[in-house]
Amino acid sequence: MRKSFTELNYYEMLDIRPTAAAFEIRQAYGTALQIYQPGSAASHSFFTETERREILALLEKAYRTLVDERTRRAYDDELVSRGELDRAVEAGPVDRKPVGIFNISRTRDRQPSLDNQETLKSKVRESKRIAELTAGDSLSGAGLKQIREELGVTVEQIAQATKIRQDHLTHIEEDRVDRLPAAIFLKGFVKSYLKYLCLEPVEALSARYMETVAHPVRSERAQEQK
Amino acid sequence: MAHIWPIGGGKGGSGKSFITSSLGRLSAGLGRKTLVIDLDLGAANLHTLVGIPNPSKSLSDFLQKKTERLDDTVVETPFENLFLISGAQDHFAIANLPHEQKVKTMRAIMRLDYDCILLDLGAGTSFNTLDFFLISQNGIFITTPEPTSIENVYRLIRSVYFRRIRYGFSVSQFKALEEEAIERFGESAFSRPECMMNVIARDYPEQYRDLQKDFDAFRFRLIINQLHKRDNPALGAHVCRIVEKHMSLRVEFTGNVSYDEHVHDAICQQVSYLDRYPYTKTAGELRNAGRQIFQPAGRQLMLQYV
Repeated sequence: MRKSFTELNYYEMLDIRPTAAAFEIRQAYGTALQIYQPGSAASHSFFTETERREILALLEKAYRTLVDERTRRAYDDELVSRGELDRAVEAGPVDRKPVGIFNISRTRDRQPSLDNQETLKSKVRESKRIAELTAGDSLSGAGLKQIREELGVTVEQIAQATKIRQDHLTHIEEDRVDRLPAAIFLKGFVKSYLKYLCLEPVEALSARYMETVAHPVRSERAQEQK
Repeated sequence: MAHIWPIGGGKGGSGKSFITSSLGRLSAGLGRKTLVIDLDLGAANLHTLVGIPNPSKSLSDFLQKKTERLDDTVVETPFENLFLISGAQDHFAIANLPHEQKVKTMRAIMRLDYDCILLDLGAGTSFNTLDFFLISQNGIFITTPEPTSIENVYRLIRSVYFRRIRYGFSVSQFKALEEEAIERFGESAFSRPECMMNVIARDYPEQYRDLQKDFDAFRFRLIINQLHKRDNPALGAHVCRIVEKHMSLRVEFTGNVSYDEHVHDAICQQVSYLDRYPYTKTAGELRNAGRQIFQPAGRQLMLQYV
């Protein structure tokens, strides 16, 4: 059966957790008074005069019990013996300490990507196809795409990690020269792209890519001559 | 099946029709096929708020058997996806809807094919209002911060509660229950559904379990309308807390809607408030309420700590 208000424990009456700190109890009592006081808008017409008096008396008793450390501990013990409260909870409020502002842990974000880097590096070392692609004297967007697919990385992953817009990345991969950003940005984007895929040496490869994009005809001819 | 939201509020003038029309507009704006039904029988005016001053058809066509299906009384509104069953120009006797007519209407409403149906209920706690309110478990209560309105909304919540209990028992059983409750809990028990539930728990444990399951499934909501600058914005949360603690009925506070003179202007000019004044605080709060009501995904249920 549902409990009526008089059967609730003091914590439930004040609508707080059993671990509430003293200031929370004071606040909760203030709110409860706002709700149940005679003339309050929220409980208008809900209670008869006698009911209201009873409730206010109960609330005051609850507040007086909980706000005093000693009586609160005794009351908690009583609740535990009635089975309404767990021992662990009854331990009471843990002293709250200030949190250091430089204590923000960022390692969690970085950890998986570190692992990721290791596997990528080993993959780069092992794959013959990648060695072939990076060894040539031209490096096109299509080549980059092949390397990326070889490593099993998606464009979305790169976009997320490097904060480069995904459409820029796809344009680079598809060699859509008309859609590429300005050269200075393009170079930076390609560098981040290469860095994310752990391809070395970044400088030389990005320079080669820029060369290929700037003079597509010459590099094509070079390939034909081969 | 359609999601039905009955909207009631006890006191007249608290803005039920205005909120209904606004929520209807918002729901339609989300691309859902939305129907608003004016069930404020005998004092219908929802049609004016949704931009149809003279609707060609109304609910009484269905009740007087001029048309076979409730579907045929639906009129389109100027807004996309928003439809209306109006109560305009209906018969004078319609305010006193006989029981079989009411049941017939409720059945027809349940069968309508819409994504979202909003019922604009009348003031007061007549059986019509209560039964239509109990058609769904997602009723919305509207009240203003004035004590008179709060009083009426408590009255409505209690009446809905009683009405639901009444469904499970015959007249004589219910009378016996009432007498017993008064005997055990004193003279005030007849207006207290929670006392009645105590009696039922002892005498009819099976029905009690069913009722309790039903009440647990209810997801009522409360909107405080016309909140003036100096009113306490926490009032809605307080009302919900009282209902939960003292009636063990869960009512969720959806939000405040501030008082705005422009609502009056918009209604007088017969234009949609949300279109004419989209950047007012009140319009923002209405949109917020709409978002909460129509997109419940990703919301967490309240955790019980004991």
